[in-house]
Amino acid sequence: MSPLDRQHPPEPGALRDFSFPAVERRDLPGGLDLRVARLSRLPVVSVVLFLRAGESTLEETRAGLACLAGDTLEGGTRRRSGSDLSEALERVGARLSVSTGWEGTSVSLSCLAERLEEALPLLVETVREPAFPEEEVARARDHALAGIRQRAMDPASQASDAAARRYFAPGVPYARPLGGTVASVESLGRGHLSGYADAFYRPGGGGLVVVGDVDADEIEAMASSLFGGWAGAPPAADIFDVEPAARTRTLQVVDRPGAVQSEIRVGHVGIARSDPDVFAVTVLNTLLGGAFTSRLNLNLRERNGFTYGVRSRFSLRSRPGAFSVRTAVGTEVTAQAVREILAEIQGLVDGGPGQGEVEAARDYVAGTFPLRQETVGQVAARVVELIIYGLEDDYHDRYRDRIRAVEVEDVHEVARRHLRPAEAQIVVVGDADGVAPGLEALGLGTVDVKAP
Amino acid sequence: MTVEGGVDVTIPYTLFTLGNGLTVIVHRDTSLPVAAVNVWYHVGSKNEQPGRTGFAHLFEHIMFEGSAHVPEGEFDILLEGAGGVNNGSTTNDRTNYWENVPANALELALWLEADRMGFLLETMTQEKLDLQREVVKNERRESVDNQPYGSAFETVYEHLYPPRHPYHWPVIGSMDDLSAATLDDVKGFFRTYYAPGNAALAIAGDVDEAEVGRLVERYFGSLPAGPPVPAVQVPEATLASDRRVVIEDDVQLPRLYMAWHGARVYTDQDAVLDVLASVLSDGKSSRLYKRLVYDGQIAQDVSAFQNGQELVGSFWIVATAKPGVDLDELEVAVRQELERLVREGVRPVERERAVNGVETSFVRSLERVGGFGGKADRLNEYHFLTGSPGFVDRDLGRYRRVTEGDLSDAVRRFLLDRHAVRLDVVPRGRRGVRADGPAG
Repeated sequence: MSPLDRQHPPEPGALRDFSFPAVERRDLPGGLDLRVARLSRLPVVSVVLFLRAGESTLEETRAGLACLAGDTLEGGTRRRSGSDLSEALERVGARLSVSTGWEGTSVSLSCLAERLEEALPLLVETVREPAFPEEEVARARDHALAGIRQRAMDPASQASDAAARRYFAPGVPYARPLGGTVASVESLGRGHLSGYADAFYRPGGGGLVVVGDVDADEIEAMASSLFGGWAGAPPAADIFDVEPAARTRTLQVVDRPGAVQSEIRVGHVGIARSDPDVFAVTVLNTLLGGAFTSRLNLNLRERNGFTYGVRSRFSLRSRPGAFSVRTAVGTEVTAQAVREILAEIQGLVDGGPGQGEVEAARDYVAGTFPLRQETVGQVAARVVELIIYGLEDDYHDRYRDRIRAVEVEDVHEVARRHLRPAEAQIVVVGDADGVAPGLEALGLGTVDVKAP
Repeated sequence: MTVEGGVDVTIPYTLFTLGNGLTVIVHRDTSLPVAAVNVWYHVGSKNEQPGRTGFAHLFEHIMFEGSAHVPEGEFDILLEGAGGVNNGSTTNDRTNYWENVPANALELALWLEADRMGFLLETMTQEKLDLQREVVKNERRESVDNQPYGSAFETVYEHLYPPRHPYHWPVIGSMDDLSAATLDDVKGFFRTYYAPGNAALAIAGDVDEAEVGRLVERYFGSLPAGPPVPAVQVPEATLASDRRVVIEDDVQLPRLYMAWHGARVYTDQDAVLDVLASVLSDGKSSRLYKRLVYDGQIAQDVSAFQNGQELVGSFWIVATAKPGVDLDELEVAVRQELERLVREGVRPVERERAVNGVETSFVRSLERVGGFGGKADRLNEYHFLTGSPGFVDRDLGRYRRVTEGDLSDAVRRFLLDRHAVRLDVVPRGRRGVRADGPAG
């Protein structure tokens, strides 16, 4: 070894290969897309059944129906009550969870591999034979309503909800909170849920992903028998237009008298998951506000101490989601923080990124990719994305190369195309008396103050 | 150790100690081409003095701001540029730092950790302190002051432990104490607590044990050992009577917090209380869920948990009321269920369900090599809190040994026979009863 040199960072050794786990693909009866990845590091398995039962296909007056149906699924089946179902799962050490998003409903199961044969039938029964007992529906609805009401008191949720209404035109599903509103959820009853399940909990367009210490042939045999006789597909979803609420900059303050901090959101409509710019946009967002050493975090946190952290994000959905910057800052520095956020966005549009910056962002995204595939649950989530968004089978295998191919010019180009500071919607949830004068003084436009 | 079916679940490791007292633990796992570096310093908010609360955590922030050979800002730039992620955290008991990097960048992570362990103060400035103080104040606003129910835990701790007890104050500290921290505090703290003899370094992943040994000796071997660390004084913590506290907050529904003194982490009783918590609140057929949420419909949600810590533990039951339900009604129902559990005992199937859940979670927790709770972090935790990383092979056994009788004994001994702190968090303008004064 050479003598100890503390002055210079050690050079990295040769990069080691990483390949995304091999995924076997089979078709199940009824059109369910089965994907199995064998990972035998530990005797665990993760299963996700994805159904095309998402919030974005619902009418505004029924917003929250897919979420509420998902939340009530564990309330019991035609064969057993909710508590019997829960006991049966716990007896085999399995966890079942249901999560509902814009695109669909994912029913996930996690257990030891040796228990899969006992646990998988419980998942299938839950989805194929939901009973939606009256009292379970009432309980889930009360819970959802309490959650919606609590969101209105939590400044971070309040800001995100207000920002979504500012980013998207009325009528665009993404403009509303995922779980619906008090009015829409109050209107939901048992009949809506069972009708919804009957129409939308169907195999067509959905998928079953199994990752862990398992054999694809055995899984196929097990699933073919459990899903036998299940047929149909959810009604085809309309492809809705995503219009912005405004094409000029607006600035809204939601008053929280006496708040010690301001929640800030700055953004506008972004891009869809299928946009070919997605790789360059990923690098762009990483260096703007996706990593600790991003321009926004270095400015607001490390240079100015305004905040504990700031992040930017492009929400990648079937239809264009939001580009949004989020942070929480002290009341007295709110206007300065808004000014700096806009300046950083404008700076990238005008000047583009530096070569070193792009290299670092590329290496960060490509280098951390394997770290995000450690658990069977993480790998399953990646594979489910292929089904949800119709991505190529080798998408994850090629991901790192595509990121590494992004050049400075590509990033500058997508910055000009997908960042529009002049159309930024700015939302501040904080003490209006404390923040409004400073925000007015920025000269960005009229500050619209909304009472609490 | 094996799970049913005979599959081995353990973390094989080698351990050695450098001449300066630094403990090094190495675990090889070649599943992915990544390396996890994890450093624990045996210092947390328990080592602070009243008037300087929040300092251990503030110090953690300063550790990322550069050292003699790493200019300010470079720490994160080098790691992120190498395709790595890193973070740190502070609890009452310890401070940890970790880097997850592509395996070919292991040496970079070790160089960075060694530099801040050995040479932090050379480039320490008032500006760095002032800036991170502002960041931490914003962290406090975000996680406590501006967060519904955000001050509940620190309020309960304040009443559960007397003023001189190391768990009396919150890890994040108070605004006044954060303002009072000086550059001399930073220097003294580093010299006292950030020496190799008060630290342990765990490395896990696609690494070669012999190579790790050479690199660690190279970068850490010459750092000075440092003085012995002052012992923490732990006054006895018992409650002479039940305490009741009420705070108002920006919340929709009132929430009840009940807390008792529990058992130290990694003791047999700690496992008993973990299993008890599961019997009480995991799943729809758990006792408190069934009574309060499912059948009784008086609570929105309920959870019970054992918080085992290094010096002492605490056991918690937290329930959110349904609209219109009084928190007294929740407490009565909770106590009736606890009494019923002692009277009627726990059924074997309840115990079995809870232990099966623990087993699955345990195996899943071994999936990640790095980060919070990953294998490197676990090895350091076992080392510091039980004396040996090898405790991983005995950990699950504590749960498997728990009997139904242990569970009812624990309810009597830890909960019914002891006094509790009860905190009500209620919507603004709805305070019914005045708060008691703080403990002691």
